[in-house]
Amino acid sequence: MIRPFLAAVAMAAASPLAFAQPAAAPSQAPLSSAAERVYEMAKPRILQVRTLLQSAGRQTTLGSGFVVSADGYAITNYHVVSRFALDPKTYRLEYLAPDGGKGALALLAIDVAHDLAVVKIDRTGLPFFEFDPRALDGTLPKGERMYAMGNPLDLGFTIVEGTNNGLVEKSYDEHIHFSGAINPGMSGGPVTDSDGRIVGVNVAKRLDGEQVGFLVPARFAAALLERARRGPPLAVDKAREEVGRQLDAWQSAFYQALGKEGFRDTSFGPYRGMESSAPWMTCWAATNADQVPKPRAAINTTRCSSTTGLFVSDRILTGRVDLTYSYHQSIDLNAFQFSHELAQQAAAASFDRGRRLTEQECTDGFVEGAPGARPPLRVRWCMRAYREFEGLYDVTMLALTQDRDREALLAQLVMQGVSQANAVALGKRFLESIRWAR
Amino acid sequence: MGAVMWIEVLSRHGEIAARERVDAPQARVGRAFDNDVVIDDPHVAPHHLRIFRAEDGELVAEDLGTVNGLYPEHGAARVERLPLAREPGIRIGRTILRVHDSAHPVAPEKPLTPPRAHAAWAAGLGIAVIALLCVIEWLGVTSERSANLLVLPLLGFATFLVLWAGLWALLSRLFFGQARFALQLRIALTACLAFLLWDQLGEWLSYALAWPQLDDYASYGAWALLGAACYGHLVSIGPRHMRIAMGVIVALLAAGAAMQYAGRAEARRIAGEPATLGELKPPEFRLRPAESVERFLAGTDAAKRTVDEARKKEPAAGLFPEAEPAE
Repeated sequence: MIRPFLAAVAMAAASPLAFAQPAAAPSQAPLSSAAERVYEMAKPRILQVRTLLQSAGRQTTLGSGFVVSADGYAITNYHVVSRFALDPKTYRLEYLAPDGGKGALALLAIDVAHDLAVVKIDRTGLPFFEFDPRALDGTLPKGERMYAMGNPLDLGFTIVEGTNNGLVEKSYDEHIHFSGAINPGMSGGPVTDSDGRIVGVNVAKRLDGEQVGFLVPARFAAALLERARRGPPLAVDKAREEVGRQLDAWQSAFYQALGKEGFRDTSFGPYRGMESSAPWMTCWAATNADQVPKPRAAINTTRCSSTTGLFVSDRILTGRVDLTYSYHQSIDLNAFQFSHELAQQAAAASFDRGRRLTEQECTDGFVEGAPGARPPLRVRWCMRAYREFEGLYDVTMLALTQDRDREALLAQLVMQGVSQANAVALGKRFLESIRWAR
Repeated sequence: MGAVMWIEVLSRHGEIAARERVDAPQARVGRAFDNDVVIDDPHVAPHHLRIFRAEDGELVAEDLGTVNGLYPEHGAARVERLPLAREPGIRIGRTILRVHDSAHPVAPEKPLTPPRAHAAWAAGLGIAVIALLCVIEWLGVTSERSANLLVLPLLGFATFLVLWAGLWALLSRLFFGQARFALQLRIALTACLAFLLWDQLGEWLSYALAWPQLDDYASYGAWALLGAACYGHLVSIGPRHMRIAMGVIVALLAAGAAMQYAGRAEARRIAGEPATLGELKPPEFRLRPAESVERFLAGTDAAKRTVDEARKKEPAAGLFPEAEPAE
């Protein structure tokens, strides 16, 4: 299984047309023999990981995995086993080996932040993969050939040749950028160097690009395996609590990192707001200046978003922070029309996230300014709690400057999967950062 | 104490069908033609009753030994004799009679409404409502300026108003005998003006107090205003069963308000409050005192407690399909 939201272009990438490139054919002859070697070596070590519906005994999701020890330890993605982890009464896990053997899988450890899980198969004495020491040190050269394996779209065990492009830049999560086709069903499958040593684990791909795949670096898998060996196995009925604990730990580390990277002032017309200095906050600007017919209020928006996305379950993707400032300036709207326009813009900011979260609850007020420094603000704080995980919330804050009647700064802070304390701390910073530029 | 009595025979619709003057000290009522008042009702005896003056001069009706008997107008108990000073109504067979002494008091003269007074009022109110609507619409137009944006809602509103007042005028023609369109228009316009002002008040206060839900609550006031308008229309028509009519209207309005409430509550239960600022006005109209950042953020604990409580409860199945993103 590859994350479901990525599945859409999978069929297109696998279509025969994609391979029909005669120009590339002659030069590939020696390389494919390397792939052949790796595949021969890897084949007995790969697994298909199936999540079965307990009552029907049939598969509901498919992924891949790979054996890493003689006593049957194997690694896959957390998102491949997430249904079982969160609801062990409804689902069970099963593996299918390339030789046709199948059996039950035990879930021993999970790492939600890196999307990894350690499982154990019910037989021993199997050949297994070694980790590539260069991958553990992070010294893999860019451009090196890598071989991603798994069972894409349940079509059979497959090997995909691609190149290492190092760690993804401007990303909070450490992912290896793999230039090669990764498709649904390959999730959790191994990626090796040309000697068949593990360098990473298939995890995701971009839908808006071609052959842009992402791998979890091998060192996180090695660390989780170490933890699974030494620590007690995960109690199946406590897996949900463990997920909650890891989400809480993740957000706590994330907001600490965000604070440590610091914030800098940034100007929006006569106002200032804050912008994270973290390289993994990407900012985009938008304007309505080119709108037809000519807009009656100029709106210039800057939106900074963390590139984080934490898969929790099929229905919950969390861990994002968004900071949006839009500076509105009336062109020929009067004060009343301008405020009406602002109300409409603020309304567009609302979004729905389904009922895995509670209904949203809000608090309103005016926040006082500081003479010569900060304008007064109209503020709304809205939050929803995660039903399945205690102490985690989605928080949306809206703040609108209240000092002029024909220009205003509308600021929005969205925090997903955050604790109340971290949300209040960043919220305070956010409100206090809205200042006059001059 | 006058010597003359008046006997009124009421039609089935409660209107006076005949009014007989009796100069004699006693009157006989029945189907036979030798009576003072002759009644065409097969359930009335040929000689049904006698109306005479008691010793104290009070008029009394007396049953002359009939099959169907004598009843007070609003009573279910058959009587032999019925004093008429307090309750002048009598029921015999299927006919209702009212007997009045010549000294019976009548209501004072009602002043005539000056000609075209209602029309003048309606015109004035109409101008006020249209002006207000224009201002509201104009302040709400933030896109391209277009005369149609003003004209369309105005035309829609005018059409609705004329239909509404016309409907009541039709009812008035049926029950009161006169259409009195101008009066109906005046009542409808008064209600419209009140509604517009109320609606604006809700909007402005919801901004001034930073209380977006207030605007929602205010919309329930609109149902009360609609009820008041219906009451006004009904009074102008003056139907016989005013209470029943008003009861029906109140029940309908209550059902409408309850439906609105249920729909809102359901939407709120599923999606919660929206992360929007509600209607906004220029900053000069703020009323609620501003608080410090710390104080505002401390106030978010209440929201936290509410959602913490909510997460312990299982989300109930809703009226609307579950609003979840598709896989």
